[in-house]
Amino acid sequence: MRLSKHRRATIAEMDMTPMIDVVLLLIIFFMTVTQVSELNRERLELPRLAGAEDQKQTTMTINVDAAGQVLVSGHSMSVAQLLTLVSAELAKLGDDPQRMTVVLRADQRGDCRTVNQIVSALGQMQISRLRIAVQVPT
Amino acid sequence: MKLSNRRLQRHRKIQLSMTSMIDVVFLLLIFFLTTASFVPTERDLESTMRVQSTSAGASDLQPAVVDVVPGRSGFVYRLGQRELDDPEQLTDLLARFDNKAQGAFVRVSDRAPFRMAAAAVQACKTAGFASVSYIPLGDEP
Repeated sequence: MRLSKHRRATIAEMDMTPMIDVVLLLIIFFMTVTQVSELNRERLELPRLAGAEDQKQTTMTINVDAAGQVLVSGHSMSVAQLLTLVSAELAKLGDDPQRMTVVLRADQRGDCRTVNQIVSALGQMQISRLRIAVQVPT
Repeated sequence: MKLSNRRLQRHRKIQLSMTSMIDVVFLLLIFFLTTASFVPTERDLESTMRVQSTSAGASDLQPAVVDVVPGRSGFVYRLGQRELDDPEQLTDLLARFDNKAQGAFVRVSDRAPFRMAAAAVQACKTAGFASVSYIPLGDEP
């Protein structure tokens, strides 16, 4: 007597290992290339120049848009307000202007009126180290 | 007769449920994919700020002073008596200066385009000047 074969119900299983590998690789990639603290950088059209050195740690980043508006950490402010902020930063550094490095990110479409005002004011506060941010042409 | 449970337990496979991990990982991936923005590479031009006019110190050689001021047809780079509108020509001229250790001075009119001011600082740096001073000129040159 032939017995009927009882086939076990086969469950189709997908091998998830390569997918998880790829997804984790992608996550590691995005985590490493994403700069979270981009708040102090406004979207500006910087002068397209080669520059002289790579960007370093700075005390303060001042953005000046094409219309001459001053922006620091996403907040629009006047030059007078900026100087108050600079004074506070300077106080944190023990009132030593030599320890203060300012990066000026100014839109290349604008004029130098606001930039000159900032430079004059910072110069009067004995802050002399200024870095002009440029965009490396591709 | 009581059978021991050990034999039965031996062949059991411990299976980790990957579903929740995959869920989290996908969420993270979507977050990074949507928030990532690729910014262009930025570099710096270091300069010293000065409020007053040039103070080059005691030297027989004339310091390199580049003015970014209005010329006959728009803004120009003025170096001595020469007026230039090309930053590359300015770099060539500045490279001929002997007193590079003394530094260069870039004086900028308020109305000058910022790209020209930055280009003047870049020209001084490219020409090999050790330090570049940025001096605001005000409204009038």
